[in-house]
Amino acid sequence: MKTTLLKVAMFGGVLLAASAPAIAHHAFAAEFDSNKPIKLQGKVTKMDWINPHSWIHIDVKNADGTVTNWAIECGSPNTLFRHGLNKDSLPSGVEIVVEGYMAKDGGNRANGRDVTFTDGRKLFLGSSAGDSPEGK
Amino acid sequence: MGRLRCGWTLASLLGLSSALGWGQDANGIRRTADGKPDLNGVWQAMNAANWNILPHSAGPGPASALGAITAEPPGEGIVEGGTLPYLAEAAAKQKENFKHRWTEDPEAKCYMPGVPRANYMPYPFQIVQGKDTILMTYSFAGAVRTVRFGDPGKAPADSWMGWSVAHWEGDTLVVDVTSFNDQTWFDRAGNFHSDALHVVERYTPRGRDILDYEATMEDPRTFSRPWKIDMPIYRHVEKNAHALEFQCIEFAEELLYGNLRHGKGESK
Amino acid sequence: MTFRLFSLTTMAALAALAQSPKPAPRAADGHPDLSGIWTNATITPFERPRELAGKEFFTPQEALDWEKGHVRNFDKRDDIKGTTADVTLAYNDFWWDPGTRLFQSRRTSIVIDPPDGHVPALLPARQKQLQEEAAARRKRCDRPGCGLENSGQPGPADGPEDRPLMERCLSFSNAAPMVSSAYNNDYEIVQTPGFVGIDVEMVHQMRRIPLDGSPHPASDVRFWVGDSRGRWEGDTLVVDTTNFRGETQFRGADENLHLTEKLTRLDADTLRYRFTVDDPTAFTHPWTGEVTFVKAKGLLYEYACHEGNEGMTGILAGARADEKKAAAPGNR
Repeated sequence: MKTTLLKVAMFGGVLLAASAPAIAHHAFAAEFDSNKPIKLQGKVTKMDWINPHSWIHIDVKNADGTVTNWAIECGSPNTLFRHGLNKDSLPSGVEIVVEGYMAKDGGNRANGRDVTFTDGRKLFLGSSAGDSPEGK
Repeated sequence: MGRLRCGWTLASLLGLSSALGWGQDANGIRRTADGKPDLNGVWQAMNAANWNILPHSAGPGPASALGAITAEPPGEGIVEGGTLPYLAEAAAKQKENFKHRWTEDPEAKCYMPGVPRANYMPYPFQIVQGKDTILMTYSFAGAVRTVRFGDPGKAPADSWMGWSVAHWEGDTLVVDVTSFNDQTWFDRAGNFHSDALHVVERYTPRGRDILDYEATMEDPRTFSRPWKIDMPIYRHVEKNAHALEFQCIEFAEELLYGNLRHGKGESK
Repeated sequence: MTFRLFSLTTMAALAALAQSPKPAPRAADGHPDLSGIWTNATITPFERPRELAGKEFFTPQEALDWEKGHVRNFDKRDDIKGTTADVTLAYNDFWWDPGTRLFQSRRTSIVIDPPDGHVPALLPARQKQLQEEAAARRKRCDRPGCGLENSGQPGPADGPEDRPLMERCLSFSNAAPMVSSAYNNDYEIVQTPGFVGIDVEMVHQMRRIPLDGSPHPASDVRFWVGDSRGRWEGDTLVVDTTNFRGETQFRGADENLHLTEKLTRLDADTLRYRFTVDDPTAFTHPWTGEVTFVKAKGLLYEYACHEGNEGMTGILAGARADEKKAAAPGNR
């Protein structure tokens, strides 16, 4: 645990002194298992643009030819709305790649730790640096 | 000569106080600096519509152990014509909702009540009328609506309380509400809608302390034609009236998550 | 000749005016109008970092250097893959919006009083109480069925009431006082002569501020964002808030939290916000923070938290799954 916290502090630069702790609405580590990383690829069937977390649903082809629908938990859509995106910005049928961690309870859910198109481009915008809402 | 001067002073005082939003016109309607009706204040409906927007008799509530405390009072309804024009499939769904209403009603879960239900829940709400924006803040579940004048563009996604755009027609505030999700009910009797719901509200002040409220609902996936509700909304006139926040999440958690409680048996 | 000089001077004056921010607009009743959509997203630290001790303001160059070195990128994760730290950072950078700039004041901390930029110590009794509560919670995690919290520590998950207020969508620490968090740092103020409403986007918390001179309700009536009463002192809106629920525990505060906030619109685009925390049963003495709001781009959007709180289901289900695994014949 100590090592993990140290890593978090180092990674975040000044997480401990920061005014806005880099935390989601709930601890994703309570819902998803760090020992169960997963990589999924599939076509979007729908996206729930809801709070506190949006969900992207994808159909993933299994090795035996069957299809499993996975629910991928992502962030609040409001940040994206402020950048001009909306519920039509991720149409059904688009193929995406998801790297994340599986739900602890074994359900077909994972967090979208890194979500890209098949060519490696990030799903929505790039880094938010320089694109702040302050408009300065 | 003296009387003329006195009258002039009185008129200018009234004009000044009107300009500062303190004035009432000849009908008792308060007005803002730009001459529009001033709807600021704490308001509440007085009817049984939250139980059932249609006419209904008194009936048992969800908890017979609590006797008459949770029983349903009678109501004459607020729907013009007294019936809802459900499409066949939707009518069946409403009956299904009604059967499971005590656990399936989004109100039981402390979910935001949507529009127009928020306006006839039995709790106060407050209208905060600014120049370009009106905040409607409801006691129940801390629900809030942002009502915008002008053109705020399209809603980026569906929401519980809808996307409200307002304009004045004379002394009537007309609010056009779209982009609802399909999660709210119109009442505790399971009357519901799809995400195609479009509501047009009309708030017309009748004197100082009453708003005549009409709302027209259009939802071609649920109803065969538009339908309308009609009811007065009353001002809270007690000194320093406030709409206190009724945050109910903690009272709904057992209903929502009780099956996942430690020791409850099978895990999900 | 004189005419040409005059018009040149006028043009120069107009140009200068165009560059300086417009003055704060006034409402019909003469008070500054605080209405608008504002954001307080910032990378200004809450407390002054130790290496900046004694330094209240950055120079302009230092501010630029600080900003370059402290903007987070949540996509940098190569060295933490497979750890709970990576799970905690949840998702891609584009979902977050913690701010990329310091406040234009170039202050080195949000806390401005005491002058060292640090929150004063808690009273020993309060410190002890919080430590005992935390120890009791940790002890409950001697057995399986807990879930990590945002603090990084495991916490009980027997039922929803065990989880932090934020996870239950009950209270976020960005409404009273109004300090920024990791995203959705937008606020909408609607001002009328008798009432000011502040819609806090994160979890649609509403700051209700009557200006009618009415007193706070009796102490039996308590709210998640407290009860606010406002008044104008010159061009500053002063808001007095009491009647907090004790569970909110802002930085260790308890139910006796007395919050005084001052809002001054400096110009058309800037709102200065100072908040003083006075809690005689929690802190050794009162302390004050300063936050600068600037005009936000776009509108406020609904944040219906509880309605979509699948995370709570996931956390409780995860805890029950851990218990089941631990109880399985091979694992006991």
